[in-house]
Amino acid sequence: MGIKRGVDFYSYQQAQFFKELDLEGMLKEASGIEGVTGIEVLDEQSFPYPDPSDEFVENWHAMCKKYNLEPVTMDVFCDVLQFRDHVMSFEECADRLKHDIKLAKKLGFKNVRTLATTNIEILELALPTAEEYDIRIAKEIHAPIPLNGQYVKEIQEVVEKTGTKHLGIVPDWGIFAYRPSEVTLDWYVRQGAKRKTCELVDQFCMDNYTGKSDALSKIDLSLYTGGNVESFFHRYLKTGDAPEDLKPAFELMEKMVKENVPDYTDIDFEVMGQALLLSRAKPEDLIPLLPIIVNFHGKFYNMSEVEGQPGIYVDKAVDYEGPIRVLKEYGYDGYINTEYEGQRRFQDRTEKELISEVDQVRKHQLMLKRLIEEA
Amino acid sequence: MYDNFLIRKDSLKNDVDENGNVIGFQFAARNANYRGVYLSLHNGYYIKVDGIQYKRDVQTFEINGKAPRTFEEIKTAVWEHWDYDDEGIVHVKKEGGLTPGKHVVDFQQSVLAAYGYLPTDEEWVKCPPEPGMGAGSDKTKNIVRYELELQE
Repeated sequence: MGIKRGVDFYSYQQAQFFKELDLEGMLKEASGIEGVTGIEVLDEQSFPYPDPSDEFVENWHAMCKKYNLEPVTMDVFCDVLQFRDHVMSFEECADRLKHDIKLAKKLGFKNVRTLATTNIEILELALPTAEEYDIRIAKEIHAPIPLNGQYVKEIQEVVEKTGTKHLGIVPDWGIFAYRPSEVTLDWYVRQGAKRKTCELVDQFCMDNYTGKSDALSKIDLSLYTGGNVESFFHRYLKTGDAPEDLKPAFELMEKMVKENVPDYTDIDFEVMGQALLLSRAKPEDLIPLLPIIVNFHGKFYNMSEVEGQPGIYVDKAVDYEGPIRVLKEYGYDGYINTEYEGQRRFQDRTEKELISEVDQVRKHQLMLKRLIEEA
Repeated sequence: MYDNFLIRKDSLKNDVDENGNVIGFQFAARNANYRGVYLSLHNGYYIKVDGIQYKRDVQTFEINGKAPRTFEEIKTAVWEHWDYDDEGIVHVKKEGGLTPGKHVVDFQQSVLAAYGYLPTDEEWVKCPPEPGMGAGSDKTKNIVRYELELQE
């Protein structure tokens, strides 16, 4: 019972890319972290997809046993242009999800996580398969999507309507980020952005967080994923085109740079656009959702040691303390799976200057342990 | 992401046919994402070598132990998966290949992977985007420049 700690192998994406950690290497590393009992895995990242051999499956189970780790959630995807001659229908997307549910079962997982944008109709179509295989489908709630918007509400409605125990959400901790990470801003500066723009976007976000200004709160991006907002904004800056509901926000970001940053260039707009990737979720938003929370992605961007407190680590851009306090108070029983995402902010440099994901994950787990165990 | 590591540094070399004629060049590339994708989504490359652009119609892609395929053929590989940790070989047709020494390669990959439905879906079924415009390159938005030494 209570809050359990796991590691999402998404965290080791770079180590997988450079072949420093294979599947067993990741299991071994995760099992070596004190208190970690579960793992989360992306099917298209770490398994032979779509149909691993029987030998692979057998070996996988043997390894999970050897390292004493529980497969918690398998993260699945859906690219709607797969067939290239038409856009996939809801039925076709549901077929893929059903396949992935069966794969998850075969590999011993309890849950599958779908993309944040997966339409509710697709989830409903796959629900009978989820019931049959006793796998919970959980839609990821990822910044800038809020906890109290349409995407979560429609899940709650289906759960209420059907009484199913096999549908829920995976909130990504990035919804509690309140400013762009320092490693993201440093990356932009190395790409040619002005330090002044970084200060501007940080101030803009902090003013919102501390309640000094409501300019950011007024912007509604509740139906877009972070990746899509970024690519829409990128295209807007190149062509001026954007979905109508996104235009006012894009125009505001553009205006702020033009009025405040001398000698700005295109990349300064993208820095400002980082403000649009925040969900502005509040810890107490979690309370009514606890029954449908399947697990959390413990998203973070950079662990750093608190000055004067050796061994005490925090992410300076993400609130962990507030939400964990709420989870403890209201008796959340489930996993927080560490999901490190700062590595890509070092990949513009040389191989020697890449950051160690293993080290970052270990520090994140130390922080989780501290916050969960402290009174 | 992986900006500096998408092309393997020691992989640029000339392509030679069975008669010993140099017919083009090749390099090894990785998927610019944190996961693999169905191969059909792979939409080609923006490639400029020493200022000369080589478009999709002179590119082929070698993956999964099969002979190099054009991107029209790749498009039909709808049940074949390009796994995350697999390296593919990009072949470019160019009579005589590249000269010995260093070359400046500008590079962007286009893979039509996304987070769910997008307003561009129908348009991209009818007319796939031209690599280099940023479409299908969300994770590595800018064209990356490499300086590569032609291998023997």
